Amino acid sequence: MNQKEFLATVLPYKDKLYRLAKRLLVSAEEAEDAVQEVYLKLWKGRENIGNYKNPEAFAVTMTKNFCLDRLKSKQASNLKIVHSNYQNGENLQRKVEANDGVELVFKIMQTLPEKQRMVLQLRDVEQFDFDEIAEMMESNPTAIRVTLSRARKAVREQLIKQYNYGVS
Amino acid sequence: MELAEIEKLLEIYFKGETTLGEEELLQEFFASQQVPAHMEVYRPMFLAFGTAKEETIEKEIVLLVNRTSQYWKWGIAASFVILLGIAGFMFTKGSGLSAEEEQALAEYNKAKETMMLLSANFNKGTDAMLHLNEFNKGIANMSVIDQFNQSKSLILK
Repeated sequence: MNQKEFLATVLPYKDKLYRLAKRLLVSAEEAEDAVQEVYLKLWKGRENIGNYKNPEAFAVTMTKNFCLDRLKSKQASNLKIVHSNYQNGENLQRKVEANDGVELVFKIMQTLPEKQRMVLQLRDVEQFDFDEIAEMMESNPTAIRVTLSRARKAVREQLIKQYNYGVS
Repeated sequence: MELAEIEKLLEIYFKGETTLGEEELLQEFFASQQVPAHMEVYRPMFLAFGTAKEETIEKEIVLLVNRTSQYWKWGIAASFVILLGIAGFMFTKGSGLSAEEEQALAEYNKAKETMMLLSANFNKGTDAMLHLNEFNKGIANMSVIDQFNQSKSLILK
């Protein structure tokens, strides 16, 4: 596989990989570095790409594993991600009132367990089907459905909490 | 789309049982302006998913490998040039033969000698072939005898 074929195959995924990386790592810069690393790895193993029946799922799995490793090593070295203070009621209230809860939803998503975050990202943002997500997550479609349902309900619960807080 | 239908879709959406098509309907519905107050709370959720999908990577992906592979080719070309240089130097220098080369030369000379011997014998063989020519001449002379016989028979008549 030459460089041209390689890029034609895997470059179209770069934004999806970036969004997933950012969902996990939060920082845009770190997400960019992660995607860059994943592409170098893919390039090194380019002879095998043709053997995978779904190169996109393979690339997503690589990104997922890379980011989870990063998070693990970060936790080990006590470098905690600084979350924006989404608990700040006043700030949120203003946003909900302005009917701009989009930022709030992103912040809620950041509080979800990594698996739920990824499944929500892959389904509700990227609109992959359950079989594909199962392949990407190295899981099965039934388990993915369960995780997805939990993630959606968790977001709803937080939204309702914040919404009621804003209204009352 | 009727509200009752949206409510039903929402219910199965949270169970994780909607299809991609149904989820698209929900996205469209919440992107529209006619969202009733009691459903307003879900609106940011669907808007957020739509917004999230628009985000793209700004930094360009770099595959340094292309440049290194060029260096690799140049490396091979350069080593060929050096090898040719060394070979040229050795050949023009001539006398400085190694033991191995000396032996090879001796073998070569021996082989040459043998070939010369074979050639000499072969030439001897061709010399002998010259006698055949004499024989052919003899056969030609036999035709004179034929003539003799003819004239003899004429005389006898």
